[in-house]
Amino acid sequence: MGKPEMKGTVTSLSSVFPPEEVQKAAKMVEGKLSEKQSEMNQLKEFIADNTSLINLVQKLPDELHHDIMVPFGKAAFFPGRLIHTNEFLVLLGENYYADRTAKQTVEILKRRGKSLMSKVDALKAEMQDLKAEASFFDSTASEVADDLVEIREYEEDNSPERVSQSGPVELESPSVAEADNKVSASEDDEYARLMLRLEELEKEELAAEDDGENDEDEDEDANANATETETDGDEDEDELTEAAFHGKKDEGYSSLDHNQRYLESQPRKQLQQSKGKDPMNEEMSTKYNHQDLTNQLACTGLTAEPVTKGNYGGEIPHGRIVHQDTKMLNPPVNASVPSGKKPVQTPKSEFDSSKAFTGSIIEHTENLEKKLPEQKTTSSQASDSKPSKPMSRFKMQRK
Amino acid sequence: MSSSSTALRELQRDLENKANDLSKLQKDIAKNHQVRKKYTIQLGENELVLKELDLLKEDANVYKLIGPVLVKQDLAEANANVRKRIEYISAELKRLDGSLQDLEEKQHSKREAILKVQQRIQSHQAGKAKA
Repeated sequence: MGKPEMKGTVTSLSSVFPPEEVQKAAKMVEGKLSEKQSEMNQLKEFIADNTSLINLVQKLPDELHHDIMVPFGKAAFFPGRLIHTNEFLVLLGENYYADRTAKQTVEILKRRGKSLMSKVDALKAEMQDLKAEASFFDSTASEVADDLVEIREYEEDNSPERVSQSGPVELESPSVAEADNKVSASEDDEYARLMLRLEELEKEELAAEDDGENDEDEDEDANANATETETDGDEDEDELTEAAFHGKKDEGYSSLDHNQRYLESQPRKQLQQSKGKDPMNEEMSTKYNHQDLTNQLACTGLTAEPVTKGNYGGEIPHGRIVHQDTKMLNPPVNASVPSGKKPVQTPKSEFDSSKAFTGSIIEHTENLEKKLPEQKTTSSQASDSKPSKPMSRFKMQRK
Repeated sequence: MSSSSTALRELQRDLENKANDLSKLQKDIAKNHQVRKKYTIQLGENELVLKELDLLKEDANVYKLIGPVLVKQDLAEANANVRKRIEYISAELKRLDGSLQDLEEKQHSKREAILKVQQRIQSHQAGKAKA
């Protein structure tokens, strides 16, 4: 990766958001807010009136007739009687009335109350939005008053850094120019997260296998962390390693020739790997030449195992494997191509196998012959047979 | 120099006229908004009435308030009337929408014209200052 090109902009907030305008906007929002508040009060009054009316309508039919003071004109009353206490002429709206009983009237009133409530809720939501706007404007105004400056830096290598203001974060300064960087940044973040998850899973797995592998795990983890920062390059490498692995696979695991082929593929992979990884790989190849078969088998077996465990979702194993491959030069990782293939485990397993499975060579060879006919049921069995790890791994490899 | 100043005055007069037109347009738009609001409320109310009428029994008494007179109406007739009113209101709303768009476009173009005139004035003044 070459050095990232950096472009930077330094913008004073007061230039982006002139203070007077911000204040004006804040005032406008406040005005709207008070409008909504008064509307809300009115609606609440309506609701209160409605409920009291419902109570009255329910009480009236209790008597056959009520003695009341009847309003007469503008300023007079005279005593009178209220009869037909169960008959109500209800306004339906738009100058339409209907004769209804007390119960039916109550129902109508209740329906009106419901619609009022829904209006109140809608108003409340609007007021919330306005309040959020107002608070934002206030914060912007304060920022502008404090003469805060917004600093942005752009990097071209998909790992953009956004050094924000010296003060509170500027909510509203969307940077279209940064949109691309952000997208790639989010992808990187996901990538990193997937890697971490895969690492954790691997760790658990390996810890269950053998404690002695913990050292290797740590080493590999360190490598993983180092490689997590690489983004684009990783994917390219993954594809390359995948191709290499496929080539390896095709040659078949059933024979010890794997040894040689593995060696061949390793240098290829080394070429593909990034610098940091190459020395490691070379070291590995030299150290474990005599254990190539073991490595291969172990790797494949181990890789298969993590796959089974790592079938948590299409992406997690894939992402994990990407890193691992780059590190370990290990084969199969379809990180870039999420497919039904079970991703093979990564360098960790390789290292582990090399160290810890010296004795397992025998196991593998035995299993090899047994496994050959069982290739087809690898995946399902692989996921089930945890105790027989070598076998399942091997199956996965076969795939 | 004098010619430029008369030209300047003309431009300013032009600017005033355009500004007046713009304010008129804005008033029209505001009126349009108000009428639209009214119609929308009426439409809502009519829909409510229709709902209630549907809940009534066939023989229920329905009255319509026409001025100071409460006139008894047939349920079917009332239903039909309310529906027709709803249709009418929706048509009115659509018409208003169209005219609102028209007005907004005109306003937009007026604003642009004003801008142009302003720019010309500025260039004139700059020219005058230089000279």
